[in-house]
Amino acid sequence: MSTAGSGAVRLRALPGWLGPLGWLVLLLALSLGMGWLEGLLRLVEPDSRQVLYARASFLALLGQHVLVVGVASLAAVLLGVGGALAVTRPAGRDFLPLVSQLASIGQTFPPVAVLALAVPALGFGTLPIIVALLLYGLLPIVRNTLAGIQGIDPDVHEAARGMGMTRGQILRQVELPLAAPVILAGVRTSVTINVATAAIGATVGASNLGDPIISGIVNGNTAYVLQGALLIGLLAITVDSAFERLQRRVGRRGVQ
Amino acid sequence: MGQGRPVPNVVLIALLLAGVVAWLTLPAVSVAPNRIVPGTPLLAQEALGWGVTLPALVPMLAVVVLGWRPEPARLRLALALVVALLAAMPLWLSAAAAALVEAAQARLGIGAALWLLLFLWLLALIELRARLALPRPLGWALLLPVLLAWWGCLSLWLAPLALYREYQGRSDQFLDAIGQHLALVGAAVGAALVLGVGLALAMRRYAGLRRAGFGVLNFLQTIPSIALFGLLLAPLAWLSARFDWLAALGVSGIGWAPAWLALLGYSLLPMVRNTFVALDEVDPAVIESARGMGMSRRQVFLQVRLPLALPVVLEGIRITTVQAVGLTAVAALIGAGGLGTFVFQGLGQAAMDLVLLGALPIIALALIADALLSALADCLRQGGAT
Repeated sequence: MSTAGSGAVRLRALPGWLGPLGWLVLLLALSLGMGWLEGLLRLVEPDSRQVLYARASFLALLGQHVLVVGVASLAAVLLGVGGALAVTRPAGRDFLPLVSQLASIGQTFPPVAVLALAVPALGFGTLPIIVALLLYGLLPIVRNTLAGIQGIDPDVHEAARGMGMTRGQILRQVELPLAAPVILAGVRTSVTINVATAAIGATVGASNLGDPIISGIVNGNTAYVLQGALLIGLLAITVDSAFERLQRRVGRRGVQ
Repeated sequence: MGQGRPVPNVVLIALLLAGVVAWLTLPAVSVAPNRIVPGTPLLAQEALGWGVTLPALVPMLAVVVLGWRPEPARLRLALALVVALLAAMPLWLSAAAAALVEAAQARLGIGAALWLLLFLWLLALIELRARLALPRPLGWALLLPVLLAWWGCLSLWLAPLALYREYQGRSDQFLDAIGQHLALVGAAVGAALVLGVGLALAMRRYAGLRRAGFGVLNFLQTIPSIALFGLLLAPLAWLSARFDWLAALGVSGIGWAPAWLALLGYSLLPMVRNTFVALDEVDPAVIESARGMGMSRRQVFLQVRLPLALPVVLEGIRITTVQAVGLTAVAALIGAGGLGTFVFQGLGQAAMDLVLLGALPIIALALIADALLSALADCLRQGGAT
């Protein structure tokens, strides 16, 4: 493809990002301006004195939510991809069957149960949530990285070695690029689950977008529940649509 | 894998050595005078003395030695030792309970060392099962002596165990909760199966429905469960206030109705996707030859396409069921009952044993559902192959 052509591709790719961007704008607008919806929320909860969740600003709750999920997911990506790569190298190959079994058995554990088990072990607050999200988020990443690396045609490997590439070069220039779409799909699953599980973390003392929901359920205020649910839903959709976009790009690059 | 060559099994050795370190350095139990006060953690040697702690190292180190030259006979011996170690754990706990707990209100908590040992030894079991290429049912059968040991010790000597105390305080509620949990999962998966298969069949016929249907279901799947429960609250409350017959059915903003609806929504995607793919992937040549034998369209579908697709459909049921077991736990937040009730009650009261009483059976249910449905799929696949 010529340079002019690739420039055109970049321009054409922009409308694709409008989807996630639009969701993001909606999410931010609603976190800043929930007050605009007060009239609507009044309809849901006509008897309550207060219909707007006011214990913390929605933007702060959103920030907390994104921070917790971001830290946990980043650590899960580093550890998960690193670990999966380590057990596919000759030195770590002994651990491969165990790790791949563990990743598949672990995924049958419900995320809520993992979160609940983290609390007796680590106490209340943000730390156990990050650890639980990290541990649970590892599984799809490890599983997909293993699948991606193992799915590479052995002939490709052989050819790369025949060209005189070192092990490090094969890893960086052959294995990782070829496995990237599958790994990215694992990361997407992991982050999607984490966004949802972090919200349940509001029951163990973290303050995030789950807070209005929990407090609405406890106090019988449907309006609070709606506000939390709306923002969490928007956050999940924003993240997911961004990943979808990213996957499409990586997939296309892989084909070329 | 050179079976005869003495290449040490690094995995087994690492797991068991990590276990030795945990056993010697981490608290094995904690003793609390009552439910409220946090327990005092005790190391294994503080609980029962070195006289018990050091001999316990013998089988652990024996497995390490056996792992050094992993011939099948030695690995089988190692497997027996690991099972024995797992079965010995409740016995050790019983002895600790007898030695440490005197007051009627006092409780014995399981410490970090024992949790870690449980985890490491189960991993060792998985590793050994894989190395010896034992069939899956045999792997489950190996857990039988371990479960029997726990059951025996719990009914005879482990009354002071904090987890067991929590159970005894609410044994009726516990059974009810399991019943509610299973009923909700069953109702959601059953409805999803009927609707999902119907939807998949319709999607095969109409391409427009396929695109729209998968779009909607994918969208639904990305909405976090807690948010979907919340979003269903208002419309359902409104409906039940509006229509008396709905309220008479027990439909309201909280309770089983929003939980069931949300579970159904989440269950549809894996169910429809698997059914659709399964029906679509049946080899056209097989269909062609069935048609050639003079079978009608209906016969081809019922006698050829459906049986061939069944294992993949069953895979969809498995994914859906495991997912629903976890989501039902969250549904306890909106008053749908089930085992999640204990988890959230326990978190609210900072009573960690109550949390465990909810969380451990949830995990067990998910694992059992997974194992049973995979076994069923294996059976069908073998039956289909012959």
